[in-house]
Amino acid sequence: MKINKEEIAYIAKLAKLSFTEDELLKFTKEFEDIINHFANIDKENLDDIDINSFENFESVLRKDEVKVFKDKKELFRNAKSMRETYVEIPKIIE
Amino acid sequence: MKIHKMTIEEIKQGLEDKKITAEELVGTYINRIKKLDGKVGAFLTLQEEEALNAAQKIDEKIQKGLDIGPLGGVPVAIKDNICMKGVKTTCASKMLEDFIPPYDATVIEKLKDAGAVIIGKVNMDEFAMGSSTENSYFKKTKNPWDLSKVPGGSSGGSAASVAAGFTPIALGSDTGGSIRQPAAFCGTVGLKPTYGLVSRYGLIAFGSSLDQIGPITKTVKDCAVGLLAIQGHDPMDSTSVQHEVEKDYLDEIEKGVKGFKIGVPKEFFMEGLDKEIGRAIRKSMERLEGMGAEVEEFSLPIEDSGLSAYYIISSAEASSNLARYDGVRYGYRSKDFDDFEELIVKTRTEGFGNEVKRRIMLGTYVLSSGYYDAYYKKAMKYRKKIQKSYREAFEKYDLILGPTSPILPFTVGEKINNPLEMYLADIYTVNVNLAGLPAISMPCGFSNTKLPIGLQLIGDHFTEKKLLRAAYALEQELGVCNEVPSLGEEE
Amino acid sequence: MGLETIIGLEIHVELDTKSKIFCSCSTEFGAKPNENTCPICIGLPGTLPVLNEEVVNLAIKAGTALNCNINMINKTDRKNYFYPDLPKAYQISQYDMPICTGGWIEIESGGKTKKVGITRIHIEEDAGKLIHLEDEPFTLVDYNRTGVPLIEIVTEPDLRSSEEAVAFLKALKSILEYAEISDCRMEQGSLRCDANISVREIGQKDFNTKVEIKNLNSFKEVAKALEKEERRQKELYNFGEGHKIKQETRKWDAGKGRTVSMRSKEDAHDYRYFPEPDLPPVTIKEELINKIKKTLPELASEKAKRFSQEYKLNEKDIDILISSKEIADYFETVVSLGSEPKEASNWITVELLRVMKQTEVIPVKAEQLAGLIKLVDKGTISRSAAKEVFDELVSSDKDPEEIVKKRGLSQISSSDQLEEIIDSVLNQNSQAVEDYKNGKGKAIGFLIGQIMKETKGKANPNIAREILLEKLK
Ligand SMILES: [Mg+2]
Ligand SMILES: [Zn+2]
Repeated sequence: MKINKEEIAYIAKLAKLSFTEDELLKFTKEFEDIINHFANIDKENLDDIDINSFENFESVLRKDEVKVFKDKKELFRNAKSMRETYVEIPKIIE
Repeated sequence: MKIHKMTIEEIKQGLEDKKITAEELVGTYINRIKKLDGKVGAFLTLQEEEALNAAQKIDEKIQKGLDIGPLGGVPVAIKDNICMKGVKTTCASKMLEDFIPPYDATVIEKLKDAGAVIIGKVNMDEFAMGSSTENSYFKKTKNPWDLSKVPGGSSGGSAASVAAGFTPIALGSDTGGSIRQPAAFCGTVGLKPTYGLVSRYGLIAFGSSLDQIGPITKTVKDCAVGLLAIQGHDPMDSTSVQHEVEKDYLDEIEKGVKGFKIGVPKEFFMEGLDKEIGRAIRKSMERLEGMGAEVEEFSLPIEDSGLSAYYIISSAEASSNLARYDGVRYGYRSKDFDDFEELIVKTRTEGFGNEVKRRIMLGTYVLSSGYYDAYYKKAMKYRKKIQKSYREAFEKYDLILGPTSPILPFTVGEKINNPLEMYLADIYTVNVNLAGLPAISMPCGFSNTKLPIGLQLIGDHFTEKKLLRAAYALEQELGVCNEVPSLGEEE
Repeated sequence: MGLETIIGLEIHVELDTKSKIFCSCSTEFGAKPNENTCPICIGLPGTLPVLNEEVVNLAIKAGTALNCNINMINKTDRKNYFYPDLPKAYQISQYDMPICTGGWIEIESGGKTKKVGITRIHIEEDAGKLIHLEDEPFTLVDYNRTGVPLIEIVTEPDLRSSEEAVAFLKALKSILEYAEISDCRMEQGSLRCDANISVREIGQKDFNTKVEIKNLNSFKEVAKALEKEERRQKELYNFGEGHKIKQETRKWDAGKGRTVSMRSKEDAHDYRYFPEPDLPPVTIKEELINKIKKTLPELASEKAKRFSQEYKLNEKDIDILISSKEIADYFETVVSLGSEPKEASNWITVELLRVMKQTEVIPVKAEQLAGLIKLVDKGTISRSAAKEVFDELVSSDKDPEEIVKKRGLSQISSSDQLEEIIDSVLNQNSQAVEDYKNGKGKAIGFLIGQIMKETKGKANPNIAREILLEKLK
């Protein structure tokens, strides 16, 4: 399958990444090789397999109980910018 | 006896007999790291003071005659994608260069409870994506057996740390072979447990349905001790084991392989397998037969498509798991942006390395509308087929045997510009993750150029006990584990 | 040619749990910013979700109350999109295997009863809150709400007018409140509504392009926004420019009273849903569904029927009483304490709800109100004195009798005592007595007034009147 630069640019947009023109070209080529290799799965007969059937699993649920994470200072120590207890980000225009 | 060559068993004996104190022991390891890690490049963060303090506490306990736990005083290195409260956890990424978690991963709590002394955080491929540890933002780790070669990856720092005698045990994580392949490259023992046996809480996610933490050690027995310390149900991880687990991996470890049926997929020996590796595996098969195991070749035709399914599923999950790095609550933030959109895009573009971006792109692609059915859905179906193939195989065999890697440790820089070629080298390990099975890699010989060769044993779900027993028998038979690399230091 | 309006609703409802859906943080409303947070709900690397059992129970309860099928196997999925209020950059939701499907409820609108189909109900996590400050170059994020459990209820496109949409929401709210699934406080965001609306020619089978309207935060806004949008689309159709209606998301601007196109969402969303690998599927057993069914309380419509039969109340009073489960329960408690139903209903619908315009909680205990009604019934106090006592009860825990005593409000009902007073009033007002005897009926009123004046209003007016008439014979 052929992959074009525009497709890669669209995927980059979805992934919130940006590439220079050169990177985009190099990437498109690499991508094509990898994706074409993935096509080997097409030779497999997978008709009878239902991915929404589940075997051997157990429901895992927790009780509805409140536990407080006390160390709020540690919790937000990695945030780049705080205003009182709020996390600050550049202005969002809705 | 040189301290850095000691096994966990020997360390425990030494502490118990008061031949050595924990502080001396930990101090010796730290000095060795300080002296020699410049060559190897395994460590990202050395916890010297904390480790020595922890060792002192162990010594106090010994003085008082108290129990020091199954890993009492044993130094451990931790792959840098496992969160430790108050200690930088970087995933070897610029993105998390300054990230300090406010909590401990469950395995860290368990190690501390077992008395282990955490000595530092070790290098890896960025976000565990890679097979050579060349994708670290910080440095390249070298193979202690040959410093011009890669240690494998992504747990290259963990395997190199054990091989270089920096720690007797290290934790790694394995999404598609990331414990076993570096263990093989570095001549160490590496175990990828059954999916769910070890809690993932605190392991920074790559492919959530595949990731598993496991031990890398010098010997199979040490591996068993390490697994026992970190395994078990965790209420913080919904995918963790819900039933009782084995309580002792050592009590039957010396019972041998007599009567074990071992299947060897003939597909493992097809084109692409290094001849020396092939020979070493065949030799081990003969030895196992000689010890009373029944070794039989059979067909398990899943390798090729399995590799594709693995890269599709792991990249899809990674694209979602790594979407949270936006520069808001933690991690790198671009210096220069006009609005929020630009902040996110620039942060991610500047903060992630090439391989990580490639996987995010691949994962986004295979999930995006129009391609989901062609790639992701097909891969998920194929995953079920693989699970079924293994289920059928384990109806006939106790264990499956083969090489860990088709290739020997390669030269630093050799494959870095050919991602597909790098991916193809994971062919023998990824299916184990897709099926959620346990597998161990152990050294079974050396190449002519004295590079380690790894052998992989795969078990059915939760049969680690059998796996370790077979690996121990073979290890004793081959005697390879007694060899250690020379790092040029005077012994 | 006639046009009809097609409306379908998507309603997000916050479930009434103590803790969040995937972590143990509190869901309490109104906490200090980022107080209810932990490594899990702010999406720190390495953390994992564990599903709250009560979320599953409440979703099953909702499904049962809305006549849905409950699916035995429940899978969760990730919905991927970047927004600063979504810490993991994906929302854990349900995509192709929602917990409930295929239900309905009955609504009444324009004097007719109608069944409205429920397509599905799924569970998901809420996002955080962005605080936009005017004239400031930044936005603030509060993650208290991230991970608060929600159910999303999607209706069939069965609604044909804004009145029907509002009737549906009211019926839904009442059911969810009654079943204690959610407190449904729209002003706190615990019930939020998005609407899909399109118009088509009557008789046409296919649907035309629909427009999604978001941010409808009260019944009034739902009505207004839908009417506006309906008018806009119909006008375009009537001009023969139906094709100008494009599929888009519009946001209701309550201040400006109109919908505005949401800019950022111009490109089609590509949410890249896939199964959540961190959560195994949950199986729901038949026993659990049956157990939950049994806990389902009487719904409003059933209660209305019962109130009419059991208490013989009129429809208007019943409507008011059952408008909230809390009030209906309160009413029944007062009655169970011995009050006459009509009397209890009057006090609640008039006096209690008057003072409750200012408060959220019921300010007078059922025991207090029942006690007060008893005092009136026995003739111990007058109706007007009772109102005075009631007003004090609003801010006091005291027994009504105590208040009556303290304020000296009890009536003089003893005939001996009254006779003495009446005799003296008659002596002092011979002119009025004369007038009465000459046929001036009004004089009675004057005399009663004098008795009241003499007793400082404490005479029991009925008894006083009886004695007076007897003496004037
Ligand atoms: Mg939703
Ligand atoms: Zn939380």
